[in-house]
Amino acid sequence: MFREAPVTESQLEGTTHWERFESEAMPHVASLFRIARWLTRNQTEAEDLLQETLLEALRSFHRFTQGTNCRAWLVSIMYHHQSKNRRAAIHLHLVSDAEERIAETIAFEEPAPQNLTDEEVLSALRRIPRTFQEVVVLADVEGLTYKEIAAATQIPMGTVMSRISRGRKLLRSELAAYARAHGFGEQHREG
Amino acid sequence: MISRGTEGKSKGMKMRCHQFREIADSYVGNELNAETTHAVNSHLTNCTGCCRELSARRELSARLRDALINAPENRMRPEFTNILRARLRDYAQSNSTASVVALSSKSSSAKFRRAASAALAACLLLALVIGAAVLREWNTGRGPVAVSSDASKPGQLPNLFNASLAKSAVGDHRHCAIHFRLSEKPIDLEEAGRKHDPSDVNLSRAILSGDLPTGVEFLAAHSCIFESRRFAHIVLRYQGRLVSLLITDNEGNMRTNQPSPPTVEQATFIQCSQFDGYPVSCLQTARHAIFVVSDLSEGANLALARALAPRAVMYVTHIEQG
Repeated sequence: MFREAPVTESQLEGTTHWERFESEAMPHVASLFRIARWLTRNQTEAEDLLQETLLEALRSFHRFTQGTNCRAWLVSIMYHHQSKNRRAAIHLHLVSDAEERIAETIAFEEPAPQNLTDEEVLSALRRIPRTFQEVVVLADVEGLTYKEIAAATQIPMGTVMSRISRGRKLLRSELAAYARAHGFGEQHREG
Repeated sequence: MISRGTEGKSKGMKMRCHQFREIADSYVGNELNAETTHAVNSHLTNCTGCCRELSARRELSARLRDALINAPENRMRPEFTNILRARLRDYAQSNSTASVVALSSKSSSAKFRRAASAALAACLLLALVIGAAVLREWNTGRGPVAVSSDASKPGQLPNLFNASLAKSAVGDHRHCAIHFRLSEKPIDLEEAGRKHDPSDVNLSRAILSGDLPTGVEFLAAHSCIFESRRFAHIVLRYQGRLVSLLITDNEGNMRTNQPSPPTVEQATFIQCSQFDGYPVSCLQTARHAIFVVSDLSEGANLALARALAPRAVMYVTHIEQG
């Protein structure tokens, strides 16, 4: 993803550095802001983080490999900045044994998505450990692949997979009470 | 594609529900290899329970996506979007020469060296002209600051220009509007009005009320500090360039040789100069200095300052007079 891409003169012809950046990177600004907002939980900090990310991306845009996922590349820059900003970044802290155990012991419960409000879904997401929230948001909301999330967050891919799975499980668990209250969530018989 | 232990178990045998659950997330994320995907599909054709569970998982992901995308707090402020784009574009343009040098091939580097030599010669010539003008101003006793002045009423200008203040205004324009590298974060004008200068409270409303001059676009308004001086800062865009309208309390810095504060009429006189390559147009009211800074041409900057001056001066003077 960070491989140096040789830029040929023909690529430069007719388009400026800014025009190329604008067409490749700027369409992802809204998505990046969502991630920044989720990471920082603060409007001003999110704006600062987004600006730092885009400035850094603009400076290093010659390193971006054309044809690869620009959003994933930008997300990885954002995570790098966020960890630098926080020093002891929350997303880099090791998941505690307790969190892992909780995730492992959650039984599957089927939620009733059609009856959930946006606020109920977001509240449930906020209640699960941040380590799981972040990968679930990157996968389910921003549509990054496991490999792209691993590259962006500097977490091994196996860990990303398990965190996504456990994060979703925890999310379903948080929503289970609501689902049960509305008559959903019955386990089906093994086939 | 993902290869997991569970996938092996599914080879040659019917997949069971608990096996499906283990890999359902990877299936939803389209991360499984073809063989395992086929096994999952086969299982799903015969298991309504797992189909329902899969549907619920997909639905939950979709609801999560919608909830986050639609949450008002996750939407960017339009003014931030505009100013961010303008800052990035200005940054890209101000660094475009360096980028081109770094990316160009050998054949074009010679061409660039010739262009750079010509630019250097032009800069030296310009420096000589400016130096001569400054020296002439100095010799006539008006000090080293003003390079040119407003031609509207030559000879009648009050001695408005304070060089260090104008340099601070240019510095604020560069560090805040263009590069956003202030050591202290800007605050709202209303907050600044309560804490520092009452004229800040309704400043942006006063400046922006009615139609802005044609082609001028509002980007942001705040109060910021550059080198210990606080400015009310309204960022505009004109002809594709960032323009700063900066207002600062100048009560403590009035020229001692100035007999009395300028009247409203006098305050609409504009002095124009250049600092660090940025044209600066300046006005002064009884207590405030008002600057328009940009990297437009000096003429365009002056024209814009003239267009904005009446509303800025009227409002600030009104507040000063209580």
